[in-house]
Amino acid sequence: MTETRAVIGRVTRCSIRGFVGGIRLRQPDLPVFGGWCQAPAQGGETSVLGLIYDISIEDDELARQLAAADAPLPEQQADSQLNRPIPIELRALTVGYRRGDAWVHALPPQPPVTLAEITCLASAEIRAFTQRLDFLPLALSTPEVPADQVVSAALRQAAAARPAEERRAFLVQAGQECARLLGQDLGRLERMLRDLQAGGVA
Amino acid sequence: MRSPAGARYNPARVFEGGDVSLDLAKVLNQVDQLGAETAQRQLERAAALPKAQAALHQASALDPSEIRQRIERAGDRWRGASPGSEAWQISLPPPALPARWRAIGADGSQVYPDRHAAAQFCLVNVGSLCLSHGSGEAPLASSQPRLLFRQDELTTSQGEAIDTSLVNGTRDVAEMAELADLAERSSGEPSLTLLDNGLLLWLALQEFEHHSPDVDLLLKRYLGEMDRLRRAQAALAGFIDRPRGTNLLRLVELCMLPLQQVNPETSRQRLYSNLVDRDLLEGLLPPGQRSAVFRVVSPLNAAFEARGHGIHFFYLNTGYDGQIARVEIPAWVAEDPDSLGRVHAGILKECLVTGIPYVLVRAHELAVVTQHDRGALEALIAGALLRQGIAPRISQKSATKRWTAARRRHRL
Repeated sequence: MTETRAVIGRVTRCSIRGFVGGIRLRQPDLPVFGGWCQAPAQGGETSVLGLIYDISIEDDELARQLAAADAPLPEQQADSQLNRPIPIELRALTVGYRRGDAWVHALPPQPPVTLAEITCLASAEIRAFTQRLDFLPLALSTPEVPADQVVSAALRQAAAARPAEERRAFLVQAGQECARLLGQDLGRLERMLRDLQAGGVA
Repeated sequence: MRSPAGARYNPARVFEGGDVSLDLAKVLNQVDQLGAETAQRQLERAAALPKAQAALHQASALDPSEIRQRIERAGDRWRGASPGSEAWQISLPPPALPARWRAIGADGSQVYPDRHAAAQFCLVNVGSLCLSHGSGEAPLASSQPRLLFRQDELTTSQGEAIDTSLVNGTRDVAEMAELADLAERSSGEPSLTLLDNGLLLWLALQEFEHHSPDVDLLLKRYLGEMDRLRRAQAALAGFIDRPRGTNLLRLVELCMLPLQQVNPETSRQRLYSNLVDRDLLEGLLPPGQRSAVFRVVSPLNAAFEARGHGIHFFYLNTGYDGQIARVEIPAWVAEDPDSLGRVHAGILKECLVTGIPYVLVRAHELAVVTQHDRGALEALIAGALLRQGIAPRISQKSATKRWTAARRRHRL
């Protein structure tokens, strides 16, 4: 769980439903699937909250040169994997926004602007936003993204952002909310619950 | 609205992204002439090369004492090469490397002072990579930025604003200092320390005869860092890709003059002015092999020699796409077979994948200050000024350049 506001991307394109960012990061600093992130919008008046649903590593000339070599040295491979900032692109699904101290579980009035810095949410912010699970209908209804998997991963992270004694209760509550929303699609619900179980619900 | 020019053939359109400021249509004719001129020069070089190679063969057969005599007669201002103990035309294969050794590369970049900026500063950023061959571990990567902003850092000893060449000299000293720091920490493992340019301080090369106290000070610091590297027993080398050096050709030309006619005036005459040393050696050095070692003869090198750092060089076929590189080394590396072998074999190993030493490729990547980095730095400086109650203001000229530099592109 990221506690500091490390920049994990700069917005390259966006819409009300989501945003895409690029940056160079070292492998240890890469964001994770289902991670909670935010980017400022409306001149800093709001922060758009997103769930990372895709991370791709972009083309890199030196990496390509190393890959094409007969046998790159193990030290060079380790350098590329651990030291070199890798050009990445991340895609985030918008699930709400913040205006001042208020968290809103709906699509924002405006998307972030180009080059807005994308940062990870701190644990306290994840806890605050997920006090209510009203973002789930919006996230689960998003077409063309692996919505169920990204929501499960995000809920597991939200659980991990809580004290150990609260995690199970949070995941049970999240499972119940998913059951309410996906009651008409038992196959999908079963897969989601299995995913959540991986996060600690017995 | 479409511009009237848009209807005509616009060569800029051949490039992805379309719009460029340069009117490429107007430069097309000159580009064609450039191509023809390049082809003509290539023909001239091809014609001159066999003669130069025959002259090299002839010169290398001369008695060493006669060559020394010729160099003495050429005077202090002659800039050529002096042969060492190795026969001129030999090409030597690399020796074996130890199982564990360390390659260290350093490279620097800079932001020059800008009188139009909101605050006066310059920046020197040195990137370095220390890679322990045989360890299997990730190398140690580092980037060391230094902001110069104090009055004494931004003015010369004469009270004038420092210019770009002094910033470059400061950067060169910082690169050498970084190598020395890393070499001292690497003692115990044989190390090869690399820069991606010649070892004769470029600034001093340009200003040596003007005796500027600022240049003298930088040269003193530069030589001091070389002292540290020698004490650390690091093999120091400067790697020059696509070298333009002519020291060896000048020596060949000197040897073609009748001995009695050699003097400072005649020694400046060029027989093969369209060739460089690299051309001469391209067909003579098999992949992986190096030439003999020569000593650089120049007034500045005399100052290096006085400190025991006289610069020598050899040419090396890196085995990467027929590349002939020039490698410069100080006397204490040239005279130590172990260090010389480590430079030769180590550079080959480092060039295997990237064509130039990997540690230098990465050091450059770590050093480079992009436009984005510069913008972020300027934003930080603006913030610092605001906290002091100073409104950051760039000059009007700078402001107008920004208006026009970042043209917006509307794609419909």
